[in-house]
Amino acid sequence: MKILVCIKQVGNEGEINRFDVHALEEALGLKDQLSARLSKSVTVDVATVGPPEASKIIKRAFGMGADRGYHIVTEDPEYVSSFVTATRLAVVAKKIPYNLILTGIMSTDMMAGQTGPMLATILGLPCATAVIKTSLPTSDNLIEIERELENGFRDCLEIQLPAVLTIQAGINTPRYPCLSKMLAVSQKKIASLTEADLFPEPIEAREIYIGLEQPEKTRSGRELKGSLSDKAEQLFGLLKEKDLI
Amino acid sequence: MKQILVIAEIFAGQIRPITWELAAAARKIKNSPPLKQLPPAIHIIVPADNPTTLSEKIAKQTGIDVIGLQIPELKTYTSEIYIYCLEQLTKKMNPSHILIAHTSQGQDFAPGLALGLDAASIPGVNGIRSDENGLIYSRPAFNNTRNMIVRPTSNRPVVLTLMPGIFKQDGRKGGKPGQVDIRKISFAPAACGKERIQHRRTMRKVCENQALKEAKVIVAAGRGIKGKEDLKAVFNFAQYFPAAAIGASRPLVDMNWIGYQQQIGMTGATVAPKLYIACGISGSSQHLAGMKDAEFVVAINKNPEAPIFRHSDICITADVLEFIQAFLEASG
Ligand SMILES: Cc1cc2nc3c(=O)[nH]c(=O)nc-3n(C[C@H](O)[C@H](O)[C@H](O)COP(=O)(O)OP(=O)(O)OC[C@H]3O[C@@H](n4cnc5c(N)ncnc54)[C@H](O)[C@@H]3O)c2cc1C
Ligand SMILES: Nc1ncnc2c1ncn2[C@@H]1O[C@H](COP(=O)(O)O)[C@@H](O)[C@H]1O
Repeated sequence: MKILVCIKQVGNEGEINRFDVHALEEALGLKDQLSARLSKSVTVDVATVGPPEASKIIKRAFGMGADRGYHIVTEDPEYVSSFVTATRLAVVAKKIPYNLILTGIMSTDMMAGQTGPMLATILGLPCATAVIKTSLPTSDNLIEIERELENGFRDCLEIQLPAVLTIQAGINTPRYPCLSKMLAVSQKKIASLTEADLFPEPIEAREIYIGLEQPEKTRSGRELKGSLSDKAEQLFGLLKEKDLI
Repeated sequence: MKQILVIAEIFAGQIRPITWELAAAARKIKNSPPLKQLPPAIHIIVPADNPTTLSEKIAKQTGIDVIGLQIPELKTYTSEIYIYCLEQLTKKMNPSHILIAHTSQGQDFAPGLALGLDAASIPGVNGIRSDENGLIYSRPAFNNTRNMIVRPTSNRPVVLTLMPGIFKQDGRKGGKPGQVDIRKISFAPAACGKERIQHRRTMRKVCENQALKEAKVIVAAGRGIKGKEDLKAVFNFAQYFPAAAIGASRPLVDMNWIGYQQQIGMTGATVAPKLYIACGISGSSQHLAGMKDAEFVVAINKNPEAPIFRHSDICITADVLEFIQAFLEASG
């Protein structure tokens, strides 16, 4: 079984998007269980699209136990159309017939939650979002999952592999990168693919980025000033006045 | 003529109230300055195995024409059936805008539908306005600290998923009902022939938390609380208030520091206490969804730029544990 996990660097400090760490853990958990119980061979690859520094997150993923890393090196502006990212990731996803492709439910910077479902559409695969539980795939390539809805509801689905799942936090507790694997990192190879090699014609974005602005205020937002004890006293007075204490 | 299409949100055979917000947003788009000259028509699409009753209800409530999309295979929602059948229907309709709820269901099928229609896709829209080039859309980004403004490239239809609670429903009463047109489309994809996603069952994790619903005061803890041990300080703080309950942001629940019944937000409880004290909570849209109706909101956060401060009556920039200690001292 071959699993691909899409991971994204967020912020400037080589941090992996929080939800992608859960996606990677889920893949590694499946690998551990499948190889221990059924002595099946499972590989977990990771792929990222991002600037040269993003190779750091692939190394971190190796430290957690990933087998191979793909890095599509780009110099992107602030906004990247999810369609463009999904098109780029599809190149890697088509390299090997992956049985399972995992992404995070969303990236904390773009907050789109679209890359996984779009990747599925490009590859012609079924997709479920907000996955909060997975089971081991059956011998006829079915996987049972639970996806999270509002108000505590969950849908239990049976999906034919290959498929794309987007992973919600709360599904697992991610492992820390371990030292021995970290030491072996230098042995592992990151396959770097350049944008120019992969796409002679630039992929046309479907949205145009205009800019960023401060979100609106919905309440007055009175700021308490002074020292810590000043603030504490002011709050106490205010709540007393409002008869809340 | 161009069309604004609204996909009604149906869950367990019921119309979700967000459908009325989508209808209101469709009217807003139709009447916006860039489209006023040549206003598009609005249609609400109601996917169901037997859509007649639901469609009539929606046509009556909104006064907008409804297409009941009858999908015989659709017992329960799956993205596969929705994307296939909605694509079949909508690609013949010349849509300019397709409005979908930014909910667990809408987010599951909207991106796939957008690609099928070669459309632009703008998720989580929380504002619609226009500039000299046409309609532009805002959406949260960067951990809710900023809104990002985008527009579709010209001449593409655009699929928008709309944040719940932003576009106020019309409150329309009476008036002429819209027309209902039933169209049948079977799920019959050429590529795979059969369903690859089977719905097994829908279940519910826990029931409503009555204590949270009834509490006059909720003291809620977020990731600004660094360790499970430190939660005790928040409990002590809460004890200071009569009839107070403890709430939490989702990450604390995900880490098993506190029970799911305590989670507040989109995938947790919705509360409206007299006083809500957010302790080390950043103020994500998913968290705000659960507490925005609180009467009075106090936020304690060490980052003066934290989004929660935009949605608070009182803002206290401080380390949460230090502040709680100072408060307990000040109150004697
Ligand atoms: C589909 C979906 C559904 C979701 N549903 C929910 C939901 O129902 N409820 C929910 O809450 N979340 C939900 N989330 C998660 C949500 O997106 C945020 O990740 C979450 O709300 C963040 O929680 P937080 O504010 O506690 O943590 P963070 O965003 O990490 O914020 C921590 C805050 O604490 C502050 N801080 C740090 N240290 C201190 C200190 N010493 N003193 C004071 N302040 C400090 C920081 O400045 C920061 O603002 C959902 C996400 C998705 C994708
Ligand atoms: N540049 C990227 N490289 C790799 N994976 C990505 C990238 N952008 C998004 N993803 C994946 O898609 C998920 C959803 O991201 P988004 O659609 O941006 O909210 C993330 O959690 C990642 O798993």
